[in-house]
Amino acid sequence: MSLIPAFLDFAQSLQDSAFGTSLAESRYAFPIVEGIHLLGLSISVGLIFLTDLRLVGVLLRGVAIPVLLRQLRPWVLSGFAVTFASGLLLFSAEGATIAVSPAFPAKFLFIFLAGLNALYFEFRLAGLAPVQENQPTLPKRIRFAGLASIGLWVLVIISGRLIPYLP
Amino acid sequence: MSATLEFLNAIQQSAIGSAVAKSNHLVGATAQIFHVLGFIILLSAVLLTNLRLLGVGLRDRSAQQLAGETSKLIWIGLASAVISGLFMFFSAVELYYFNPAFAYKILLLAAAVVVQVLWFRKILSTETPNPVVARIGALLSIGLWFSVGLAGRAIGFV
Repeated sequence: MSLIPAFLDFAQSLQDSAFGTSLAESRYAFPIVEGIHLLGLSISVGLIFLTDLRLVGVLLRGVAIPVLLRQLRPWVLSGFAVTFASGLLLFSAEGATIAVSPAFPAKFLFIFLAGLNALYFEFRLAGLAPVQENQPTLPKRIRFAGLASIGLWVLVIISGRLIPYLP
Repeated sequence: MSATLEFLNAIQQSAIGSAVAKSNHLVGATAQIFHVLGFIILLSAVLLTNLRLLGVGLRDRSAQQLAGETSKLIWIGLASAVISGLFMFFSAVELYYFNPAFAYKILLLAAAVVVQVLWFRKILSTETPNPVVARIGALLSIGLWFSVGLAGRAIGFV
């Protein structure tokens, strides 16, 4: 596949650029961007965990799911925006170096799957009566979507943390 | 060498400390994963209540109710982070002891826990807390926990 070498070339050119190099060699900026990446993902994934625990039925049972989703959405999305922006910066500084780790593509595979799960929930499950009417027991499909989301995001975080260690 | 450092080194050289230090680097990575996940769980619970105290986020419940419902998560997250943290610390005591980012992190962590236990007990003892006190407490709490995260991330760079 010529796509992967092209991608690695692109990553290398970013890393070799003046911007990428100065960020990678910076004393304060790079650790700060790493820290912001951590905080952004803590906000977005953390609030998603809470939402998922609601779907599974172990937390905030009195709160209607549509209300929970609507009121937390801006914060989840803001968290993702910060995580994504800082992620782009980190990639420009060291993308070519870390792309050799199998954990790197694994992380994005899990992000993609988590996104699919979220879309599936949003467009196929969120409109169903048990969700809209805040019924006390939710169908298995909805509880499973919550568990799948938790599992996938945990795998994203594990993959991310393993990047420097694999191979 | 100070008595504290000698004591800490003794723990590092004990059976558990040296086992962890000599183990495969993936053991340390596993500890880090439990540490980060613990932090995220803890932060999500703290954030939910703090956003409510600021009048945003999940407003369907009072701050008092949210704090009550998520308190278990705070303990689970904190336990996971502290246990994995002790694990990592005792595998390389001198490395952390002399790291300034680690020192800041522990100080900020202590401050965050004190604010959580004392201030929040006061704020959340009533269904309708004083809005000014609530907002200051929420911002202080968020600021401290975020700083703990940033300081922790900085450890590897200092």
